[in-house]
Amino acid sequence: MAQVGIAPSDVPVIPRGVRLHFDKVRDLWVLLAPERTINLDPVGLAILREIDGTATLDAITEVLAAKYDAPAPQITADVRDFLAGLMERRILEVRT
Amino acid sequence: MAWTKPVIREIG
Repeated sequence: MAQVGIAPSDVPVIPRGVRLHFDKVRDLWVLLAPERTINLDPVGLAILREIDGTATLDAITEVLAAKYDAPAPQITADVRDFLAGLMERRILEVRT
Repeated sequence: MAWTKPVIREIG
């Protein structure tokens, strides 16, 4: 379980210096951050694409629950863990 | 679409 918490009403924000990038050579999307990258799987990419600096965690999970065939509580838990993992690595911030 | 738990694969 991730140690960094993110509340349902928190707004995740991709900070300056971090951006989504399509790696043509590997044919995959990555999250580019200073001195490192995160290789993204399709679900990780879908989560990050919902982050626009205004959507709350609740809103993001609601959109994803409508698109994906999985129980909403599972999607909420997985999204929270994923974003908390990015926060621990300091490549995601939240506004409360 | 099918949901799979997203994994953070971090990468000199």
